[in-house]
Amino acid sequence: MFSVKPLKPTFKSYLPPVQTDVKKTPQPTIKKLEAKLLPGEIVVNEVNFVRKCIGADSSHDDLWGKLICTNFKVSFITHDALPKQRFQVANRLLGEHDLPLASVEQVVTVNDAKGKQKVLGSNQKLKFNPTELILYCKDFRIVRFRFDEAGPESAKKVCLAIAHYSHPADPQLLFGFEYVGKQPYGSAGKRVNSVGPGGVQTPLFDRPSEWDREIKRTGAAEWRVCSINEGYTLSASLPEYFVVPASLADQDLKQYLCFFTAHRIPLWCWNHPNGSALVRMAYISDPAQQRKLDQRICSAITKSHPQRSDVLKCDLDKNLPNIQDIQVAFVKMRQICVIDPFEESEEKWLSSIESSRWLEYVRAFLKHSAEVVYLLEGKHASVILQELEDRDLSCVVASLVQLMLDPHFRSLTGFQSLVQKEWVMAGHRFLDRCNHLKKNDKEECPLFLLFLDCVWQIMNQYPASFEFTETYLTVLSDSMWIPVFSTFLFNSPQQRTENSTVFAQSKCIPLGEENALRFPPVWDWSQQFTPKDQALFNNPMYVGKGSSCVQNGAVKSFKRTKKNYSSTLRGMPTLRNGLMDGQDSFTLTRRNSLVLRLKPDFSQLREVVESPTERFFRDWFSRPADLQGMLIPQLLPTHLALWRLYFLRWVPEARIPQGGPATAYHKLSQLADEIEMLQNQLRQYKGSTPASTPTSTPNGPPLDHSRMYFRAGPTSEPSPEYLSSSFPFSPVGNMCRRSILGTPLSKFLNGAKIWLSTETLANETL
Amino acid sequence: MEKSGSMDSLGSKQSSSRQPSVDSLSSTSTSRSDRSSQAAKLPSAMTSDNMSHSTELSPELRGRAKAVSKVHRDSNKEELQLLPKEHVQDMAKDVTYICPYIGALRGTLIVTNYRLFFKCTDREPVFVLDLPLGVVSRVEKIGGASSRGEVSYGLVCKDMRNLRFAHKQMEDSLRKSIFEVLMKFAFPVSNGLQIYAFEYGQVYPENGWKVYDAQVEFKRQGLPNESWRITKVNDHYELCDTYPSTLVVPVNIPDEELRRVSAFRAKGRIPVLSWIHPESQATVTRCSQPMVGVNGKRSKEDEKYLQAVMDANAQSHKLFIFDARPSVNAAANKMKGGGYESEDAYQNAELVFLDIHNIHVMRESLRKLKEVVYPNIEESHWLSNLESTHWLEHIKLILAGALRIADKVESGKTSVVVHCSDGWDRTAQLTSLAMLMLDGYYRTIRGFQVLLEKEWLSFGHRFQLRVGHGDKNHTDADRSPVFLQFIDCVWQMTRQFPAAFEFNEYFLITILDHLYSCLFGTFLCNSEQQRLKEGVPKKTVSLWAYINSQLEEFTSPLYVNYSNHVLFPVVSMRHLELWVGYYIRWNPRMRPQEPVHLRYKELLVKRAELQKRVEELQRDVTNRSASSSERAGSPTRSITPVQTFV
Repeated sequence: MFSVKPLKPTFKSYLPPVQTDVKKTPQPTIKKLEAKLLPGEIVVNEVNFVRKCIGADSSHDDLWGKLICTNFKVSFITHDALPKQRFQVANRLLGEHDLPLASVEQVVTVNDAKGKQKVLGSNQKLKFNPTELILYCKDFRIVRFRFDEAGPESAKKVCLAIAHYSHPADPQLLFGFEYVGKQPYGSAGKRVNSVGPGGVQTPLFDRPSEWDREIKRTGAAEWRVCSINEGYTLSASLPEYFVVPASLADQDLKQYLCFFTAHRIPLWCWNHPNGSALVRMAYISDPAQQRKLDQRICSAITKSHPQRSDVLKCDLDKNLPNIQDIQVAFVKMRQICVIDPFEESEEKWLSSIESSRWLEYVRAFLKHSAEVVYLLEGKHASVILQELEDRDLSCVVASLVQLMLDPHFRSLTGFQSLVQKEWVMAGHRFLDRCNHLKKNDKEECPLFLLFLDCVWQIMNQYPASFEFTETYLTVLSDSMWIPVFSTFLFNSPQQRTENSTVFAQSKCIPLGEENALRFPPVWDWSQQFTPKDQALFNNPMYVGKGSSCVQNGAVKSFKRTKKNYSSTLRGMPTLRNGLMDGQDSFTLTRRNSLVLRLKPDFSQLREVVESPTERFFRDWFSRPADLQGMLIPQLLPTHLALWRLYFLRWVPEARIPQGGPATAYHKLSQLADEIEMLQNQLRQYKGSTPASTPTSTPNGPPLDHSRMYFRAGPTSEPSPEYLSSSFPFSPVGNMCRRSILGTPLSKFLNGAKIWLSTETLANETL
Repeated sequence: MEKSGSMDSLGSKQSSSRQPSVDSLSSTSTSRSDRSSQAAKLPSAMTSDNMSHSTELSPELRGRAKAVSKVHRDSNKEELQLLPKEHVQDMAKDVTYICPYIGALRGTLIVTNYRLFFKCTDREPVFVLDLPLGVVSRVEKIGGASSRGEVSYGLVCKDMRNLRFAHKQMEDSLRKSIFEVLMKFAFPVSNGLQIYAFEYGQVYPENGWKVYDAQVEFKRQGLPNESWRITKVNDHYELCDTYPSTLVVPVNIPDEELRRVSAFRAKGRIPVLSWIHPESQATVTRCSQPMVGVNGKRSKEDEKYLQAVMDANAQSHKLFIFDARPSVNAAANKMKGGGYESEDAYQNAELVFLDIHNIHVMRESLRKLKEVVYPNIEESHWLSNLESTHWLEHIKLILAGALRIADKVESGKTSVVVHCSDGWDRTAQLTSLAMLMLDGYYRTIRGFQVLLEKEWLSFGHRFQLRVGHGDKNHTDADRSPVFLQFIDCVWQMTRQFPAAFEFNEYFLITILDHLYSCLFGTFLCNSEQQRLKEGVPKKTVSLWAYINSQLEEFTSPLYVNYSNHVLFPVVSMRHLELWVGYYIRWNPRMRPQEPVHLRYKELLVKRAELQKRVEELQRDVTNRSASSSERAGSPTRSITPVQTFV
């Protein structure tokens, strides 16, 4: 906690005048070292003659340049080229050596000579002149700068500025406000949504029509869009529009509202083609109302089921790790993966990973979600996910269930709409969980990353069933630390509206019809990446709309029309309409919290006792998976893998030069590109009346714009040198652990809670 | 494929050159799990759950031509298809197979001179277990007759599984139990019988014994050259009976001196060249430990010899001697007359110990691994249990050693000498892995066969002793999974470089399955000399004949042939994984999910189909435009011709 001193100099007092003393240096080369600024971005402090450390043991490869702190980022400007082969996908908002301040987890200043070091918080004093600055980042990067040749006072000022600006006191001090305020997003008045590579828009679910479309898409006939929370009058954490059983009138809902924790009444998530619904809700806070309300909700949901099927409840808080557990696991993973010295942690690597419990939690969420899938698919029951506030664990489980059941969400736009629906609109507290304000460490939790890891695990088992790649998932997680996107900045849609109104008023920015600043959603990837780089998101193996797969030697096309999609689900032999009612009531406790660990079914007493859930899964696994149907991940401990791209991409020692999955991706992309070219040619031939121009193909991308990052080229083109297991990232320049005379930082800081700690440390070196 | 010899044979009816027949699959191929694999192209499992057919045992069945289509293939794979000269030795009904995953299954058990075949038909789907007897390491009667009058037998297998059967006590006590028959044929060597490989005699289009010719391989490497010569001194295995007949030695060491060097090296295994760098001329040389002993004996000839090895490489004035053992073990060997090169005696040589443990440690580690993975995996503590077996740690040390060797040769342009104690276990692992990193040729299917023939078979890795073919003495301390470890290391490399190997995982599993099956002669005996003496190349079929007759099954579609591409794997626990596709394949829950290469193959088929259609349309257009060419004025559309990449 930063209770060191009252916040006297306010955050804003650090704004201009910009330090000018450094610029006096008459060296001509240095004059050109200017920070590239975004709209609304200003330089706070800068220092020259800084060395960015590249190698841990020698300064041979280090880069010389200028270190700049702005209100958005830590920027290092240099003319030196990186010495080593490197490839990193470039972000349009950031320079090669830039770090957004929001990604800085901890600022550590060191003075070698005095043997002192201090973890800097906001508004702190530094009693020594730093010789070194180490920035530990939330995305696992560790960046080190040396000030041996720099002006000691300027160096100190920059360090303090970085520490201060990475701890904004108020959400409106997050850079996104200045950025959007200076350059209103989509200011032409038209609504700008994400434009996916296929030209399809990602619905943001902030208007009734988008919910209507989702209701139609899933065939949820007995459900309706409810707008009682328009203007957030009833609940601050619910979206303005959400979906409820058609049999519940607005009047009823208003009446129920106050009995739910944080007024979070049941929200519809998704409908199974068999009519079962997935619903999420908070706890009922008033015990007196508990039974009555439960019954009403359940009977309303039952009424919305075409077969009047049962409603089962899953209490997530009882069955899953809580957010503190997850945060602890994550901190341990970070320690193991990037902080612990590489060689020393080798011997106990496997047991360390196990003891972090991260993979165990990933598995728990997947397992729980698969069990919900069984209830919806195998038992044709509607399911209510219940959590105290319905804003954390429910987001993970609701999204995973839909991802497993509905191939739509495994397409790029579908996935984005899923995150928008179950996370952003459902009021996941991104601001608190990301701890953007670094106010309350207890609220911090990488729940979204955990979800992405779960997605990666499914992807790892069914590599052809997702339209996007693991690079996409990684880049998406990195975007959380660029505080510009509406997606990850706020705790709820209401908070966005409120803050942007206040901010706009204070800055006299006119607001449009939506009455809020228009922050770009992260789904507008053109904000961050060139179209060419966005091709890194496309999975060359994807079996989806328009693509085809070969089975038994014959090419079979998949067209994901709605009919096709439901029929793959309906095709499951377990589904017997009309017969389910009697059969269903045996094993599961209804209405009350669901016992998911089912007792063995006694009719099954053979040598191997199997629960209905197990039998359901075994049956499913015994058949070939339909990539455009339901997908259930295998969940033995041996099936779970470490997401190496995410966890190890910055670790230089773990980088496989000219190896890793990227080499297979390269080859696959080229083949997929070739197939695309051939398809285009076919289309030209087919659609060719003599007058038509060959390139005007309506359904496909133009010939010069490939979906694939790697294009088909001449025969046996060697794979690029820069391919590695970290591709498209590079550890070069992005990670440099500190070692003092062979003593790694973790030992140097012995006893201190690294990453979590904000205590001042003044250890003696050695 | 059509050339395939007798129709009355394992691969009886192959008219499609791409696909192996079901018979060959069920008899020669690898199984994946207790449930048949899903992918049509993957080999059928030894156990299967397909539709039932009545069991026919008549040998005539073999000759009957069957439909080629894959659909039909599957329907036959739960029938016992006898191989040439395979005969049913015993058959018992009402045997119970206690499957750790499904439970007790009652069915018929057949034992032939090659395999055990169990089939349970009163179950849907039909369950089949088809197991070469060579896989069996031990058969034991578990307890006496139970209350139900049943006796139980346990089969411990070399391929990471145990099988348990039970059957009724024979009323006729004179009659032998089928398991006694099984014991006889599972351990032919102990029972004075011939190993089945000598009976098999299947004719394949290619003679697999011709895959490796030492002269050709050395020629490929540019040998002999001005510094290295091929010597005939071991033509009759007189210099060293565990070495191949063809040896490459420094030019300026005459045969006479070789004999004196051999006196100073354990088992006479002198340093000889395994591989030479095409540019720098740095070499990988292998040998056994020097016979230094407690008194620190020296040999001038040996010292001169290593100097000559160093001098043959003008790029470096140093020689690295990699001793695979932990230094403690190397020192302990002095008590038995062995030891290591002292840097005093060998000037300009630097000795490095690679800390790889001996065969006994490895055997124990694998035993622990089997405990952890078979039959079931504990839900909690999987990773720490795995860690406690140290299996991956050993894999890491072997790979790390090979990496250091490859790095010295490639980056340091320095010649290296590799040895352990006898130079046939750890040394073979290290040299072959280093060569795999250094030379892309060995990463092709044929090149890998050459590598195995050369570094393992010709240089006398004692397969017979390490595997114990047909020998009932399962406690033999000479048994050890040294070769399995090597294949595991290769698999680890294929994981890190998915596009650098021509072969796939199935190729590696197939090699391991036939390491034990005793169907092919490749892994029989302990040395080249022994194999010649036993007439193995003449009397048995080589595994490579089988593999090369259906290369497509073993080819990785992701392979890109980069020239001069040296692989430097990251030897870290962060990247090493347990090879679940091999060690845990019997667990039906470990079914591999839709591997990437299958999807790639689908894409290849699709590309071919599209190319065909585009070409057809192009032809149409050309024809049409030719017929309407007189129509002037209409601008011809420019269509890029189809680019065909292979």
